[in-house]
Amino acid sequence: MSQSASIAVREPAVQTRRRGFSFKKTIVFGFFGVLLVTQLYPLLWLLIYSVKTNEEILSGSFFALPASVQWSNYSNALAGGRYWHYLLNSVIVTSVTMVCVILLASLAAFAITRFRWKYGHIVMLIFLMGLMIPLQSTLLPLMLIFKNIHVLNTRWAMILPYIAFQIPIAVFIMSGFLRTIPHEIEESAIMDGANVFRIFRSIILPVSVPPIMTVCILTFINVWNEYILAATFISKEALKTLPFGVYSFVSQYSVNYGAIGAFLVLGALPVILVYFLLAEKITKGMVAGAVKG
Amino acid sequence: MNTTGKKVAGTAMAGFLAVSLAACGSSNNGNNGDAAASPSASASSTSSASASASAPASSSAASGEKVTITFQNIYPDPTDPKYNMLHKIVKQYETDHPNVHIELDSLNTDQQKQKLKTQAASNEVPDITIVNPSAQMKPYVDAGLFAPLNEMVEQNGLKDTFQSGILDYYTFDGNLYALPDGNNIGLLYYNKALFKQAGIEAPPATFEDLIADVKKLKDKGIQPMAIGEKDTWTGSFLFMNVLLRTNGGPGFLQDVVDGKKTFEDPAFKGAVDAFSQLVQAGAFQEGATSFDYNAGENLFKTGKAAMYYMGSWATGGIEVSDANKDGNVGVFKFPTVGGKGDPNQFMLAPGSAFAVSKNSKHLPETLDFLNYFMLNYPKEAFAVKGAVGVAQKVDGDFKAAGYSDMAMEVLAMFKDVTGGDISFDNTMNPATSQAHLSSIQNLFVSKEDPAAVAKEHQQAYEDNKE
Amino acid sequence: MAPPFAAVAPEPLKEASALNVLKVSRWTIAAFVLPCLLLYVGLVFAPIIVSFYNATLNWNGIGVAKHVGLDNFHRMFTNDSVFWPSVRRTFMLAGFSMLVQLPLALFVAILISRFVRKPNFLVSSYFMPVILSVAVIGQLWKTIYNPASQGGMINQILIKLGLDSWTHAWLSEPKVAIYAIIVIGLWQYLGYHILIQFTGIQNIPADIYEPAKIDGAEGFKADRYITLPMIVPIFKISVVLSFIGSLQSFDLIMVTTAGGPAHATDVLASHMYNISILSQKYGYGSAIACFLVVVCLAATVIINLLFNRIEKRYN
Repeated sequence: MSQSASIAVREPAVQTRRRGFSFKKTIVFGFFGVLLVTQLYPLLWLLIYSVKTNEEILSGSFFALPASVQWSNYSNALAGGRYWHYLLNSVIVTSVTMVCVILLASLAAFAITRFRWKYGHIVMLIFLMGLMIPLQSTLLPLMLIFKNIHVLNTRWAMILPYIAFQIPIAVFIMSGFLRTIPHEIEESAIMDGANVFRIFRSIILPVSVPPIMTVCILTFINVWNEYILAATFISKEALKTLPFGVYSFVSQYSVNYGAIGAFLVLGALPVILVYFLLAEKITKGMVAGAVKG
Repeated sequence: MNTTGKKVAGTAMAGFLAVSLAACGSSNNGNNGDAAASPSASASSTSSASASASAPASSSAASGEKVTITFQNIYPDPTDPKYNMLHKIVKQYETDHPNVHIELDSLNTDQQKQKLKTQAASNEVPDITIVNPSAQMKPYVDAGLFAPLNEMVEQNGLKDTFQSGILDYYTFDGNLYALPDGNNIGLLYYNKALFKQAGIEAPPATFEDLIADVKKLKDKGIQPMAIGEKDTWTGSFLFMNVLLRTNGGPGFLQDVVDGKKTFEDPAFKGAVDAFSQLVQAGAFQEGATSFDYNAGENLFKTGKAAMYYMGSWATGGIEVSDANKDGNVGVFKFPTVGGKGDPNQFMLAPGSAFAVSKNSKHLPETLDFLNYFMLNYPKEAFAVKGAVGVAQKVDGDFKAAGYSDMAMEVLAMFKDVTGGDISFDNTMNPATSQAHLSSIQNLFVSKEDPAAVAKEHQQAYEDNKE
Repeated sequence: MAPPFAAVAPEPLKEASALNVLKVSRWTIAAFVLPCLLLYVGLVFAPIIVSFYNATLNWNGIGVAKHVGLDNFHRMFTNDSVFWPSVRRTFMLAGFSMLVQLPLALFVAILISRFVRKPNFLVSSYFMPVILSVAVIGQLWKTIYNPASQGGMINQILIKLGLDSWTHAWLSEPKVAIYAIIVIGLWQYLGYHILIQFTGIQNIPADIYEPAKIDGAEGFKADRYITLPMIVPIFKISVVLSFIGSLQSFDLIMVTTAGGPAHATDVLASHMYNISILSQKYGYGSAIACFLVVVCLAATVIINLLFNRIEKRYN
């Protein structure tokens, strides 16, 4: 399997390697390196930040290291066990949202791009309109809706709008991808007597792994750090998510930056973990998609 | 609002710190149980609708019904003494009233404001919430969202624990709608060592001296003043103090509202001119408009700036900072400007305040809790050294409790207050305030003609007048 | 076992619906589309319709609202000194992103796919700034932009190089600040677009390159004639995302300058916040929101048309 994969996917590195050391390659990798430093530096910076005192952080010097390592920032961040239950809530909310977005958006995108029906374009246009709805401007109407369907102060008050707000971009990406898949595949499937649900499940979904992963990542990032909507619709401590923890260190006339840094590190760890896992899947997924069928 | 503020402020501040027997007695009573309502409460409660609130705890305790009160607040930081204070009082109350659960919805200040606004628009105001005084809370009061606290505040002598006059900022048409957690004044903190280094003997008594001192400090390579002007209200607070002087006394904005003056009045132009001189003299740090409140204050706290103008709430943080090692930080009153004004008139900052939703499902219990909470507030604040700038009378020996010399100086300053103004956004409507804040921020990055600034203000005021 | 992408080259570019082969019942269509559509219409689309209504009100969001017809729009277009500059800055953000960030991202994506055998680590690392909270990004860049006296990196380096006259208070000089913020945005989302476009390049089946190789098209020549045309649909996604991102850029502005000094860095989203939340003109704020929605819709349609043309040309 992996062999056929390496044949199917373009592997230009092989050709370059054959040439061995080259001037061009040095420049390219030098460039990669510089970019790597600039893009990874904030991670390191955040780690250093998270063990500094408030005064050191606020002094705003780029090069300064902490005089002594402030582990107390981490104990403050973990104080009262809030981190763990916020984390659990974030995981629940984010994963339910991700699953729903992918399911709903891929179904809709499939229908829009592959079914023969009149209103496909209009439906697509309606979805497109939602690409750029500023979340802040919907808070008030959403409050009224949620009040009336009695979901305020439940996880649904976060999950439902998170799904809804991710749908436009998810449909956009999924349908953009599905349009690139040749129609022959369902033609042959129909000839084999497969119904639409089977085509969707066993042909479309498997080849759609790359866009699904892209949608996963986008959804994850947007939902994991979301605060405005959650803060507006959730008042119960038991339901609060990680961003509440970050902002809890902001008081009226003081901010505990060190604890924020520590909390951000603790909050980013699972993200980075999940991300690197998903990133692995993207390439693998693409290879699998290319080979199957 | 402002005129009443002017009148009452003097007496309000004079009474500050006075050991009040009534307050002392009642705050002790608070722990013993609220059944012993003070006689004044029953005397004043006639046949008002909220009279039923006078003995709420006992009724609900009797029924044993489970009650959840949502308490929206702006004390989310577990490393902040106020957070622990809040939790302590709430725990105590829950122990005394096992059927009551207080759900604390603790948010950072900006988010709380936005949340309350959204909730208010759909009539979902939490049982207890937080609002700012005067003009800022007026829209909520006008929309009839808050329950009057007139009756409640009479119980257990709560009203008498407040400094006289302070509650006026939260009173509309004779009804009190919120109870403040703070009452502060604007003042200048200075770094004694840095002053000495620049050869400055004493804090400046006039604005002209202040500018001269700025130049002396500048010549010695010392940053004269720090400010966090990204937050815009910081510069406005200082500017308003200049205006308080050039106007020869408080009430300028009120006069504008009353149609007696316009922003093109010489007093306003004079204030813009004086303020610009301060900026042009290089008083503030480079890039001030991208420094937020905390970053600005930190410059002073770490001894990198010689002066800092702020509300007295900053005392607690400055007290324990590097700059105040060996009692190095002193305070002085904002000086006269061009010989005008009285240093004993201050920028007054009545604090954010607790309001109760009129539609609360458990109004009696909520009122009872808030009564208990406020009765215990000054005592607990004193214990966590957060009693400088509390809106209530605090009894206790500050010196013996370990409050610093600087804190004592600030407390002494409160006693000198004979009046003053409240901030721009507590007086004017939000849209005019935003125009003002941006206009003042602009003075930090460009030199403007005072007449043009005045005109800009007048235009904004007229555009947004209701 | 022919890869499904074997025939991908000309196919996707044709107008879809005529070719769609799946004839299904209404119920099937409903089953596929309705759950998604209803949720979206109920929670995103309907509120926006409400916003359009709110835009005709003079309302502080709490008290009594007054109908003012199109006054808010009239005021927005003719009598709001902050509005048009905010529009200009918003489009500047989008413009820089499309002209600088996206091509650079594509260039990097092509380089990675040509030179790197195990691209995961590199692509993932480049993506890191996107994951980090904007609050962190803002703090970090402040230490870069600060005046030299506050330890700002750029200014300190400039002074060390003897270029004292080049130093600026990058985030607080009205003329410079918006560019300083744009640079942050370009840096932060570069990895985002690298990821998307790299995914796209990976998606191009290898056997397309085979005949080209025989024709002597290899290396960058192959990229010119195969990768670029093939990447167009994915590049479109990048363009749309970058445009949306620019229009929604709010957090970054708030943490760095909050729109200041004196509105010099306000964009549409921050202006809307100032108006509806801080100035409490909810109706007027809704008008700005509506403008945003319309601009975005128009832009999405234009981008689509543009790319359809490009795709046709390559066809």
